Amino acid sequence: MSFYLAIIGTKDNPLFEHEFGTSKQGGDGVARFREEQRHMNQFIVHSSLDIVEEVQWGTGSMYLKHIDRYTNHYISAFLTAGNIKFLLLSCPDTHSTSSSSARGASSASSARSSAYTSTAFNPTSPAIEEATKNFFLEVYDAWVKTIMNPFYQVNMPVRSPVFKGRVAGAAKKYL
Amino acid sequence: MNSSQSSEGTFKAPLYPESEASIILPKRGASPSSSISSLPYRRSNQSLSTVFASTSNLTHSARSSGTSTPVGAPAPASTSSPGPLNGTAAPVVNTQGRLDDPRNVLLRSFAPHVGVLASTDTEEILHQKGFPGGFLEIIRPFGESVPGKVNIRNGVGASTSWDDFGIHFTGLKDTLGSPRPTSGRSSLDRRTDSGNGRLSGSTARSSLGLAPVGGDVAQIEEVVDRHLAFAELAGPSPDTDYMNHKEKEKGKEAEVVGPKPPDAASPFYSLYLKRLLSALPMTPHETFSHPVACVIAISSRNPHPIEELRRLYNSTNNGDDRLPQWVNNEFLRYYVLVHNEDDDDISKSTALYEQMKRHFGLHCHLLRVHSRHCVPTDDDSKRLPVSEWISAAEELAEIQKREEADDDSDSTPLLFESDCAGIRTFVRELVVQSIIPSMERMMAQWNETVATRRRGLGGRLMSLSKRWTPFGSSTSRNASSPVPGSSNSNYDSLQGFYRPDAPEAVMRKLADYAFMLRDYKLAGSTYELLRTDFEADKAWKYYAGANEMAAVSKLLNMQAMTTKLRQESIDRMLEGATHSYIHRCNSPFYALRSLAMNMELLKLRGFSAADDAAEWAGKILHYELVGAVGSALFRERISACYTSRQGVGGMAIGARVRKAAFYSVLAADGFLKLGKTVQAEKCIGEATKLYGSTSKEVLAFDGMRSFLDELRESIIGSRLMYPRYEDEDTHASDEEGEPVVEEVKEELDKRVHRHSLIGVSVPLDPLGVGPAPMSPVRTRDDNPLHEDDKFS
Repeated sequence: MSFYLAIIGTKDNPLFEHEFGTSKQGGDGVARFREEQRHMNQFIVHSSLDIVEEVQWGTGSMYLKHIDRYTNHYISAFLTAGNIKFLLLSCPDTHSTSSSSARGASSASSARSSAYTSTAFNPTSPAIEEATKNFFLEVYDAWVKTIMNPFYQVNMPVRSPVFKGRVAGAAKKYL
Repeated sequence: MNSSQSSEGTFKAPLYPESEASIILPKRGASPSSSISSLPYRRSNQSLSTVFASTSNLTHSARSSGTSTPVGAPAPASTSSPGPLNGTAAPVVNTQGRLDDPRNVLLRSFAPHVGVLASTDTEEILHQKGFPGGFLEIIRPFGESVPGKVNIRNGVGASTSWDDFGIHFTGLKDTLGSPRPTSGRSSLDRRTDSGNGRLSGSTARSSLGLAPVGGDVAQIEEVVDRHLAFAELAGPSPDTDYMNHKEKEKGKEAEVVGPKPPDAASPFYSLYLKRLLSALPMTPHETFSHPVACVIAISSRNPHPIEELRRLYNSTNNGDDRLPQWVNNEFLRYYVLVHNEDDDDISKSTALYEQMKRHFGLHCHLLRVHSRHCVPTDDDSKRLPVSEWISAAEELAEIQKREEADDDSDSTPLLFESDCAGIRTFVRELVVQSIIPSMERMMAQWNETVATRRRGLGGRLMSLSKRWTPFGSSTSRNASSPVPGSSNSNYDSLQGFYRPDAPEAVMRKLADYAFMLRDYKLAGSTYELLRTDFEADKAWKYYAGANEMAAVSKLLNMQAMTTKLRQESIDRMLEGATHSYIHRCNSPFYALRSLAMNMELLKLRGFSAADDAAEWAGKILHYELVGAVGSALFRERISACYTSRQGVGGMAIGARVRKAAFYSVLAADGFLKLGKTVQAEKCIGEATKLYGSTSKEVLAFDGMRSFLDELRESIIGSRLMYPRYEDEDTHASDEEGEPVVEEVKEELDKRVHRHSLIGVSVPLDPLGVGPAPMSPVRTRDDNPLHEDDKFS
């Protein structure tokens, strides 16, 4: 199970990107995206903004839940009061379902994190929804504290290592 | 233009540029695309370009019979009134003029099939005339569009008239998918032989010796691949190119062609869809390719005409030409006397014709043709129109044949104007006076005797009691019991079909007839009934087929449908169809067909239905029903689905621009991997346009931007690999109007690169809240510091 968190500003610009793996079920917290998947993640998250912009009007809460899917990439979203979007892409295994050729390469990693196989993963299950929500809330908490920096302006990318550390901590705690 | 050299040499072993070609970059300043467009395109030999005419628009002038006359496309709906909002409205059909529109393709593909059976003497006359395919070859193209309007009465008696009604002539057993025991027509065998060299190993069935059956995805892929390769040779075509479409609009072609709607199907996709739907194999579970009628032809040369007719008639009943037992054999027989204008006496033929009428009733026709070989210098010579609904294998064979031919001349056989007129009259008479009335009659009869009874209260009780009866053997409930006859159901689970006189089979035939005659209401309701019956009998292939067609006819029915209703009915049917086709029957071709058809129809309904359409098309990719070519084409199509979903209001809520752009990029990637740079460039241009139109800043994600740049570079690089672009420096920069793609690219490059901190070990910052630019610690400083300082 690998995750990719993108915080996206009001002009579809990325403010913060972070990749991490699951820490539950014996995961070691390292993302297992292949190199060529990095830009795909960006494409997928970017395309999900369409859905965010539609869904955001239909709900009162900031946590928009699981909103989109691309093959086996699942996307959950959280919208801050300042129209900043947190998008979390979760990918059960790097590439386990369709491409059988790549299966051999990833067999080692899939054996380790076998609890999160693509078939077993259900993004709408209450446990996962709850974990994702808590994760988002904690990130939001850290985010607000970070951007209270007087030198920060809207849509500026955030490079603070402390914020990064907090996100990593939240990821470890909940995902 | 050294046309023959360029086509013969490169076509046999197309040198697809590999991806490492991206290393070679064009010189700065020399915009490669402008230089390419200034090159004179090299048309390959005339006969080849005729084959590819359906997808390339270089050859409009070469073809005399322009069936695909471009008609002004409908203006896109204005943004202030977005029309169907929830996908609930009836589909907007303003596509009457466009024959290649997916909906029209679909309508015309499910046409009644008419078997053709000709006596040897008839074939001889036509061989002499220069048609190796015999009688079938000469009438086949004319059946595809019946001249004039055709009136059809539907189930309730109201009549509708159609302009584009047609029938498909086939050899009686051609679509059966098994080798013919009697090779009545040598041409088919010859054609297949010539095609065998190219056919891939997966198409073993057709290489057995029978070409004209469709339903093979690998062959469809190959045909489309050939067309794409041809388009590649021809270079960026002047009409459809996105780069200069604005100039074109201003120019002289604006009033003729008009701007294409953004979600129009590409010609290659249309071709894919057409080949997917043409020459459907004859199977028990659907009756579309079962003959509706059979044309039995003899010629005036025959010494014993009436006996010959009887012999042919009998052979369709119990002789060599008898179709398998799951085909209802009670189709119409139509008798044709081919009169040889050049050798034989018309008065004798007329007398014979009168005699035929007395013996066989009204379904007779006297067709007068010349047996002389027609040459281009003849006054009224006309080229035989190209048959639109040939199977993929046939088209491959045809391409192969023309590539091997040395001469530049077009090898399409010619025939006299008077022959054409005669055949047209024959087809019209056959359709209007015989086929449609008899189909209507059969439908009315079946509807009365079988379907109404099943629909009524009694029928429902019957089917219920059949299913839940406590009496009888315990196997009676389980239709899949291996002992046929012991169960109550009519399904022969051992052999896997219903006998043609079983009520289920009759109802399926009724529904298919209704579908072919475009009475979608009756068809839909009948398919609905059949679904439950087939499910109870566990006749999975039948069940999948009924589901598929029920969904299609529901969508074709011009009725508004609420989102909820649509999701409940259509999604469930499609789910059932694809699941059964893929997992229970292992027939991915049909799954692909049903998904593709429903995707197109859903797309027409717009808004949320277009979302569903994209989702179903995604399933095509997910199940890997298509190969590399198909997946690129379907990605392009998904992009079109998303494009067609317009947003609401000033903020365009609910638009899917980014998704459309994403899929365009994916399609471009797919095309590039296949070496089809023209298509890839088109998709990239589409994506750039879409990304630009999000009104936000252009692509702030560095990974996306670099991927797009990479794609563009490898397009340019593989262009440079191509021998025909060698001397482009001489043409460079004399073209006015910088292409759009270059401008946008520069716009992208202007942006300051932002590097994320992923993977970079950053020393601890004691404050920890400051945005990084103020911190002096930068590990990846590719760009100088002052660039970042701008905004702090």
